[in-house]
Amino acid sequence: MVRSAGIDVAVPRGWDAEIYQRDGDFTGQSAGDAGASRPVVHLGTFPLPSSRGDFGSGAVEIMNQDDLLVVLFEYGRESVGTPLFARSGIPRVAAADFGPNNMQRPIAGQSGAQYFFNQSGRAFCLYVVLGAHARRNELVPEVNQVLAGLTIDPE
Amino acid sequence: MTAVLIIEGVAIILLAILVVGLLRSNADVLRALHELGAGEPGTRTTGSRHQHPAPQREGTAPDVSGSTLSGSAVHVGVTGTGHPTLLAFLSTGCSACMGLWEGLATGVGRIGGDDTRLVVVAKGPEAESESRLRELTPEGVSLVQSTEAWTDYEVPVSPYFVLVDGPSGSVIGEGSAGSWNQVTSLMSQALADAGTGRPDRIDNGELRADAELRRAGILPGDPRLYHDERPGNGRGMSA
Repeated sequence: MVRSAGIDVAVPRGWDAEIYQRDGDFTGQSAGDAGASRPVVHLGTFPLPSSRGDFGSGAVEIMNQDDLLVVLFEYGRESVGTPLFARSGIPRVAAADFGPNNMQRPIAGQSGAQYFFNQSGRAFCLYVVLGAHARRNELVPEVNQVLAGLTIDPE
Repeated sequence: MTAVLIIEGVAIILLAILVVGLLRSNADVLRALHELGAGEPGTRTTGSRHQHPAPQREGTAPDVSGSTLSGSAVHVGVTGTGHPTLLAFLSTGCSACMGLWEGLATGVGRIGGDDTRLVVVAKGPEAESESRLRELTPEGVSLVQSTEAWTDYEVPVSPYFVLVDGPSGSVIGEGSAGSWNQVTSLMSQALADAGTGRPDRIDNGELRADAELRRAGILPGDPRLYHDERPGNGRGMSA
């Protein structure tokens, strides 16, 4: 179990996990709360490299076909209640959601899926990368197993 | 006079028992000290699977949970992975650890093959100097602060090393070593003993030498196995 910033993750056997605080001046997307620190959760079936980007750059490159990367990225308070985050509750993923073009940066053979949602008054993006798009039917249940062990408390 | 002799005899017997007891006690102490590496600085060879950390959690090594130097909560999968993990329990305060810290960037590539993952485990912030850890930890090296892991693995001294087989979660080898060369030697021996890549056996457990002899048509009892060409005479011990 890994716990930080009101987020609990039951880490499956053999997975790596880390919950860290990203800088508040995040500029890649509108994360809001300028200056505020927000948590990012990374879970991987492989050794997570010590240097990697919020959405997995530096990690996805070393994934093999059986690997999975799950990213949970929290946005600022002003995002709560906006249409993008209208979906309530931690999503469950489906094989049909994944596509090579959903990757932050496409890598041959891999595919990704992205979900925006709110939980406990907080706004999140869930981003999942599959090591092999061709194996999505086998890999997706593992992702949902991880998501079932994820708990998000109110701030 | 007879009574005196009897008393003397009894006293001698009691003294003999006392001496034997003291010798046995001394032997136990020496044995315990030997197992702790006394007299062989930095080369404790508890080795292999005989003293692995608690066949706890149904015989599998526990994963490592703790924090990073940047304050993140972190969990390192040790069991159920596709690769071995070498846990290096180091501290900033032990003089024997200094050379190991310095050699972190280059000293471990050969242990168990290139896929072995090195994770340095230091005690938590309540017991370690984080600023000193920052100074000593090379960039790119995974470091987890986890006093819990030190407890889980029953780490008796620092530096201390535990090599875990990823797929099975079993401890392949463990022990203390004062240099990366010693770590390499200790863990290579443990790997060989564990049977993974064991040089003297093949997949079905048969001795490699036996298999090669069988392929050459030399079976048990073959006279060519014996120097004096007389089978069963002492396995080549003849002059």
